[in-house]
Amino acid sequence: MKRATTQELKTFFESLGTDYDLRAPVKLHDGTRVLGGLDEGPLALEGGKIPQKPTSVFFPQFDEVFMVSKDGQFHAAEPVKKPIFVVGFTAQDLDCLEFIDKFFSENYRDDIYFNKRDGAVLVGVSGKCGKDGEFLKIAGGKCDIELISDGECFIVHPHTDKGKALVESLKASECGCGGVKMETLKEESDALPKDDEETIDKASELIRAGKVPDDFWNEIATRCIACTSCNLACPTCTCFEVYDREQDGKMVRQRIWDSCQLDGFMREASGHNPAGLQMQRTHRRIHHKLAADVERWGHRTCMLCGRCDDVCPTDIGIKSVCKEIVERYS
Amino acid sequence: MKRTLTTCPYCGTGCQFYLLADDNGRLVGVEPSSTHVVAKGQLCVKGWNAFNFPNHPDRLTVPQIRKDGKLVEASWDEALDLIASKLKETQEKHGTDSIAFFSSAKTTNEENYALMKLARAVFKTNNVDHCARLCHSSTVVGLAGTFGSGAMTNSISCVEETDCILVTGSNTTEQHPLIGTRVINAVKGGTKLIVADNRKIRLADIADMHIRWENGTDVAFLNGLMHVIIKEGLADDEFVRTRTENYDELKTVVAEFTPERAAAICKITPEEVVNAARMYATAERAMIIYSMGITQHSHGVDNVKSCANLAMLTGNVGKTGTGVNPLRGQNNVQGACDLGALPNVYTGYQKVVDEASRAKFEKAWGVENLPGNVGLTVTTAINAAFDGELKALYVLGENPMMSDPDQHHVKAGLDKLDFLVVQDIFPTPTTALADVVLPAACYAEKDGTFTSTERRCQRVRKACDPPGKARQDWDIVGDLARRMGYDGLTYNSPKEIMDEITEVTPIYGGMHYDRIDQVGLQWPCPDREHPGTPFLHKGTFKRGLGLFSPAPYKPSMELPDDEYPFVLSTGRCYFHFHTGTMTRRSRLLDREERFPYIEIHPDDAKRLGIYDRFPVMVSTRRGEVKALARVSDIVIPGHLFMTFHFEEGAANVLTNNALDPVAKIPEFKVCAAQIKGAS
Amino acid sequence: MSVMTKTIAEETGGQIYQPLLCKIGSKRVLTPLETLFRIELPEGRELGHRPGQFVQVSILGYGEAPISISSSPTRKGYFELGVRNAGTLTGAMHELKEGDKIGIRGPFGTFFDAEKLAGKDLVLIAGGCGLAPMRSLIQYCEDRPSEFGKLTILYGAKTPGDRLYKEDLVEWGNSNTFACNYAVDGVPDGACFDEGQVGLITVLIPPLSLDVQNTVAVIVGPPVMYKFVIAELKKKGLTEEQIVVSLERYMKCGVGKCGHCAIEHLYCCIDGPVFWLNEISGIRGAI
Ligand SMILES: Cc1cc2nc3c(=O)[nH]c(=O)nc-3n(C[C@H](O)[C@H](O)[C@H](O)COP(=O)(O)OP(=O)(O)OC[C@H]3O[C@@H](n4cnc5c(N)ncnc54)[C@H](O)[C@@H]3O)c2cc1C
Ligand code: SF4
Ligand code: SF4
Ligand code: SF4
Ligand code: FES
Repeated sequence: MKRATTQELKTFFESLGTDYDLRAPVKLHDGTRVLGGLDEGPLALEGGKIPQKPTSVFFPQFDEVFMVSKDGQFHAAEPVKKPIFVVGFTAQDLDCLEFIDKFFSENYRDDIYFNKRDGAVLVGVSGKCGKDGEFLKIAGGKCDIELISDGECFIVHPHTDKGKALVESLKASECGCGGVKMETLKEESDALPKDDEETIDKASELIRAGKVPDDFWNEIATRCIACTSCNLACPTCTCFEVYDREQDGKMVRQRIWDSCQLDGFMREASGHNPAGLQMQRTHRRIHHKLAADVERWGHRTCMLCGRCDDVCPTDIGIKSVCKEIVERYS
Repeated sequence: MKRTLTTCPYCGTGCQFYLLADDNGRLVGVEPSSTHVVAKGQLCVKGWNAFNFPNHPDRLTVPQIRKDGKLVEASWDEALDLIASKLKETQEKHGTDSIAFFSSAKTTNEENYALMKLARAVFKTNNVDHCARLCHSSTVVGLAGTFGSGAMTNSISCVEETDCILVTGSNTTEQHPLIGTRVINAVKGGTKLIVADNRKIRLADIADMHIRWENGTDVAFLNGLMHVIIKEGLADDEFVRTRTENYDELKTVVAEFTPERAAAICKITPEEVVNAARMYATAERAMIIYSMGITQHSHGVDNVKSCANLAMLTGNVGKTGTGVNPLRGQNNVQGACDLGALPNVYTGYQKVVDEASRAKFEKAWGVENLPGNVGLTVTTAINAAFDGELKALYVLGENPMMSDPDQHHVKAGLDKLDFLVVQDIFPTPTTALADVVLPAACYAEKDGTFTSTERRCQRVRKACDPPGKARQDWDIVGDLARRMGYDGLTYNSPKEIMDEITEVTPIYGGMHYDRIDQVGLQWPCPDREHPGTPFLHKGTFKRGLGLFSPAPYKPSMELPDDEYPFVLSTGRCYFHFHTGTMTRRSRLLDREERFPYIEIHPDDAKRLGIYDRFPVMVSTRRGEVKALARVSDIVIPGHLFMTFHFEEGAANVLTNNALDPVAKIPEFKVCAAQIKGAS
Repeated sequence: MSVMTKTIAEETGGQIYQPLLCKIGSKRVLTPLETLFRIELPEGRELGHRPGQFVQVSILGYGEAPISISSSPTRKGYFELGVRNAGTLTGAMHELKEGDKIGIRGPFGTFFDAEKLAGKDLVLIAGGCGLAPMRSLIQYCEDRPSEFGKLTILYGAKTPGDRLYKEDLVEWGNSNTFACNYAVDGVPDGACFDEGQVGLITVLIPPLSLDVQNTVAVIVGPPVMYKFVIAELKKKGLTEEQIVVSLERYMKCGVGKCGHCAIEHLYCCIDGPVFWLNEISGIRGAI
């Protein structure tokens, strides 16, 4: 396997720019890390997960559903000009993406999502490149290429044929350790604490067993200001709102991220609202991922990426709520 | 994709985020700044949706001139020439002070500076004001009188470093959401919270004490607290002795406000007064957070001064985690005040009556004879128009038809004008009355700075082009000045304007763009090296000694009676901003509140046969509007609450134009109303 | 879980969000608030729906809304929508004229499954607007009475003036296929009502004589109605396996993506709107 420096990777990514629409972790003006173009700031593979949901590459905050020109003709959303090549998914992010791939394809296939998703190349990032030196879990798959940091360089591990073919043009030396390095890194990855998983699974069990009373949800709900950040940052949140807007004489049907934390999310035209209390909405936020989706998809759909805990201004992201559930009700 | 770091156009919290524009230059999203001191990677729902209105098809895109009663498309030359000649003509005929300018708390510091310079240097009038008149003019007057500076004394971060917070007249989680969350977190961490507000706001749910006084009895309550504090020996004697003056008068005035008397006026219990006094006064560090519930009264200045008195009495000024903290409503209302869009001061609160200040600005601007009389305010200008004294008005980014009290009166005033210019981003009820409408760039389409409620001056950056022929406000103002024969308002960029501002404004002396590139600085920041000032009045007050300014209790101007038995109070909701021009054109925000509504207590509703979500007619002595009833115990019996976001159910048809005698702020929070079911 | 019926999306190249423009064949005013629209697909094609399904109706510039199909697939050459003027889109729809085009996506959702109902006695209980989707089933039964046992229709509305499909109600009442019992909550001054009882729809249930073993009840109505009607039916001895309901939720996409219609793990648009009561009985907030 190849072992590449950040500079070598950067050169590699740049060389792909003609064939792909490249998105990689870059550091912006004020230090915020985003999935952006290499022209937006220095490549910043280190630092852990990107604060924004990485799935926004395929399911952005705003999207065109279709457009109707002045002559009344329908035009489907334009397919992307170049396939997307995205670097920077953590193992948890890849789990999230795997789920929303399934979500958007099952039953009816969401053509707008797959417009961007089809043909995309995914590059995962793991190893010793987390925030403040934290070790990021090795995904071991679910992406085309995985970049595993050994603290100095990245071991470049292609997981798919497409990944292998692409990596051939990467100019970097062979690792040459005979797989020893990977072994130790894998061991380190396997030894990562599983506290979060245990807590959330326990909380999921308690919720499904009906052990968490309404009073609890009420109490959490008094702290929610309906800022919608938790939903908007979550890689497995997929809800959207649809509306029509005229633009330059054309009528564009558009969709934007929506949030189940808003009162209007389920309010019907009559005014009737099955989720008219903040308590019901707080309950839904957690219950959906930890109980409803378990029922529907066979697994929880929170992959513990940690974003909702980071963005919630009052500290009631899913991890902290689960911790409290486990402390109080098990 | 292009990402541009800029500042939120809504509340005064001043969160920064990146605006995302696609390859066609259309805004497609928002990403919070994860390093920003206040936002910390978070935003409220308004911030998250701030990309959604700039490309709304309703945007004004071409100048319009009224011809034969109708607004028709015109060129910039035509429009600006007409404005120049009309304003000149009006002044020649009716005197220099027959025209007035309304600036805007929505536009940048640079643009506020440009407009007030236009008024003063070119048109030689101090008739320039903006909507701070309607929200915090009582703060500016009240705190300047007591402390010597009319701004929030401390920083937002202080909320996390205090032991007790008194929130009064501020629905913090809805109007300053990310400051509200700091309060929630502080309480979780053990900070005591007193909410003195008769609405059951979200913070009331977690408060140690929720005091639901009668609207308008603020002074009685605060005097009651001070009475208890003095009587029980809880005052900070050392602070009072060394840092303040006029204590004896305070003692005399509050002496009669026994808990029993205060409670009787406020319709609460004496225990509430005593307990609140003890909770606030015994805290190691205590802070007061207030907003329009304190300021928008005919006794708004008294309210503000009483807050200041309370803080001084307990030594809670000049340290972290303390202070008197008015939360400024708009993104740049602080800046508009700082930059002198006020009838009595130049930038940095340098007084126009002061000859030395005038001389300084005459020199800086290369003009002579700057006027020394204090000009008209937003509220008195409307009255002057009504009385026929004001003949022409230039409104930049304001919507007085909906934001000012007593809409019928405003309309009558504007109708009497010979000439009305409105420069805005969307059509509003005010542009509908204008003789000339100029299309302006919105926050996402320009460079400049906004100053947040914590006096933090931050960069605003252009993320996309303005639609059609719309132009930036500073550029329009400069063009008009040239047509008036003045070149001193011709700039290449807002940066040049800021450089000029730093020259003439001591408190902004160090606010150069290169210094606030990533993180904004808090004024006073007098020079290039100065790190900015997180909290004011450390060691000594701006005015030297803090001046105790006790006030007696004065009832509100219009109290309920048999004909109008309810107290009507007005304000905002979480999802909309002011007159709704932007938020009602942002899909998600619009969906949340689509119709005008009025809150009424279940007991009152039951008695009057009013049902939730059913239409009602609300009336006062000034007019009536239709709204949907929201039956809820958020309000107390006998009280109604309505928002002023909706053109089709405009609360300001109802409100009372009674003004505070000093600050000229209208009494938006109390008037007498009647409500009945409608079909 | 859900069965996906074939939609007309195939006509738009698999683009599930793109509506097909269809012609308004005719318009009939039902009440001051409600109008019946007869819609024709291009080139005389059939929608291919089953009773109880809905379509997403688009008017460009106004958006989209779910509307139940109010006619039975046994009536060929068109389908009908009974629409209440409730806001932006439905208001704009009322302004449209015969011959105007509207966008249609669908048919979506689960349906009243004729196979599972075959041979049963059916009690069809509709409240207010709920008669719109119920009508597709009633018409189906009308056209194929031999597939079912005894057919009973119960319909309740707020006032006589609010009753939908008044002509149909009379016709069904006169036909031998159905036993019809109607009610109104109240009769305003000046109006009269002699076609049934005054009272909530629940008053119509106790007098019914049912073959409890062989009966299925179908309920469609406003949210408040379900709890009370179900309670009455249970008193009669019906079990949750014998009750079918159709639920309404705020819907944006109709295809299980936008999330607005979710009731716990079920998406009302693809797993519903038609549910057997036992499928949703444990679910909070479903009824
Ligand atoms: C399965 C199903 C079947 C139905 N069948 C029927 C039927 O057969 N007949 C019938 O009459 N009705 C039916 N309905 C109800 C119908 O869908 C609603 O009445 C319709 O959606 C109302 O849409 P509107 O745009 O007219 O109303 P509005 O109240 O204007 O809009 C509906 C919702 O859209 C949002 N919205 C609309 N405009 C805006 C805006 N400008 N900004 C932000 N948000 C906005 C609001 O949140 C509102 O709650 C059915 C509903 C469902 C779920
Ligand atoms: S941790 Fe939060 S943001 Fe991340 S997947 Fe779970 S719920 Fe979503
Ligand atoms: S991030 Fe926190 S405060 Fe914001 S909506 Fe989610 S739970 Fe509520
Ligand atoms: S808290 Fe205020 S500044 Fe921050 S995002 Fe919300 S509206 Fe904007
Ligand atoms: S309507 Fe969109 S998921 Fe059901």
